[in-house]
Amino acid sequence: MSNFSEAWRRFFAEERDALVLGLLRMAISALLFFNGLRRILELSRDGYFADYFHLPLIPEQWLPSHAGYQLLLDLQLLASLCALIGFLPREALLSAASLGLYFIACDRLQYHNNRYALLLLGFLLAFTPCDRSFSFVRGRAHTLPREQRNGPTFARRLFQIQVSLIYLGSTGGKLLDADWRSGQVLFMRYAHMPEYCVQHGLPVPAWALAILTSAWFASVAAKAAIASELFISLGIWWPRTRRLALWLGVIFHIGIELTARVELFSWLMLSAYLAFVVPEVRERRFEFVPGHARAALLARLVALFDWCARFERLPLASPSNDGAAFYVTNRKGQRASGALGLAQLAEAIPLFFPFWLPLALYAKLSAKPPGAVSSA
Amino acid sequence: MPRSLLNLSPRLRPAFFCLYLAAQLFLLFRAQKSPDLLFGFQMFNASSQLKISLFRKVTRRGRSRVVPVHDGSWETKDRSGTRHTHRWQDRVRYPNLATLDQFVHASYGLEAQLFRLQFALRDFALQLSNDEETEALIAEVDTLKNGREAGHVRLQADRR
Repeated sequence: MSNFSEAWRRFFAEERDALVLGLLRMAISALLFFNGLRRILELSRDGYFADYFHLPLIPEQWLPSHAGYQLLLDLQLLASLCALIGFLPREALLSAASLGLYFIACDRLQYHNNRYALLLLGFLLAFTPCDRSFSFVRGRAHTLPREQRNGPTFARRLFQIQVSLIYLGSTGGKLLDADWRSGQVLFMRYAHMPEYCVQHGLPVPAWALAILTSAWFASVAAKAAIASELFISLGIWWPRTRRLALWLGVIFHIGIELTARVELFSWLMLSAYLAFVVPEVRERRFEFVPGHARAALLARLVALFDWCARFERLPLASPSNDGAAFYVTNRKGQRASGALGLAQLAEAIPLFFPFWLPLALYAKLSAKPPGAVSSA
Repeated sequence: MPRSLLNLSPRLRPAFFCLYLAAQLFLLFRAQKSPDLLFGFQMFNASSQLKISLFRKVTRRGRSRVVPVHDGSWETKDRSGTRHTHRWQDRVRYPNLATLDQFVHASYGLEAQLFRLQFALRDFALQLSNDEETEALIAEVDTLKNGREAGHVRLQADRR
């Protein structure tokens, strides 16, 4: 058998732990729920879309009636709820996503990139073994034991490719557009910032507004945005750059969420990053001195926010010789405490991930050079 | 282990994978040619604006002329003399196209909104009943592409 066909066979036969996929399913289902809820609100506010100007992608006869549309919207909402709590979660995800795609086909005026991306990711997630964890209808046994959680991973790869394609599509359009490359598009967008700040009572100093509304800033921001998207889309595929690409993505989306109205897009992409988490769990260790107040607090935070089950939490049998209150051992077996230990914690806990790079840089800069021994 | 119809057999997996990927790539490339960049994931693609002014082409006393439509509405009388009000915004609710006589942001770019406007005009023209005098609807559109004047576009939809 050739190398290629062996790799091909291995790719489709590969099975990995599916715990994180359950978490991803909950996040995507929640977003599908909010997306469905918005459609219901739009229906009650604006009326049935086919009663006024609409642009169907499918023959007009295939559109639902008003009552039918209402029913389908309710079904979509119910399906996303089922997926969220883990009742036939994969079938429910597929139904919710397919109904959403059908609604887009009913009226292309309702097309939005973020909604379409959400539906595609929901659709793909349905083909992953995302039902093996966080299925709350199973009660306390919501997550299957480790040996039963392993499942095919090819659909997760497809999900990852889709995430990459979203960024590539976005960055490709910008790269081909001279106005985007030069910063003109962002310049026009930022030009409204003073007016926006006044309207919303934001106390932005005049010098900051002068920078934000300058042509050179828009030019730099445009190039940075294009480079960021390109780096995220490609960097997530190489283990050496993945962490940095994901960190950049998190900061990029937090920035977008704070400065633009993009519906659920930021939340969607931040959730989608869970698909890039190494599937295997408890490969890192967090050790702490039980009696130490700060270490105990940290241990509680780890217990609370370690949603991806990265850490094995272990109380230290005896206080360490170097006086450290906690130790974090990463996947490579590097054991650290202090700022570096916190950085190793932050790199594996979703909620703390934005702090990973600043902490890691701080730890690197403040580390004593090897051989520098105190003379005291 | 949970059973699901969506557990694809090892033989089906490659087919599903390749089919999905091919469809996505096709849609991505096709989006470049679509005026509204449908399925193209092109976020924040433009900071363009457009201003739509609506006109009607009417025939009065045998003469054809173009009259402006103020605030998107006008009144007509049918053959029995009953008055009817026609409102653009009753039929076209899409915010980019419903706003007349003032510049609005062109979501997804100018081409997208002009493409949609052409369909909106045709849709509205076809829906006009009880209007004996309107022969066509005309949209005069001023455009600003990323802050620069991008010219004037005239779109027309005939009722027949």
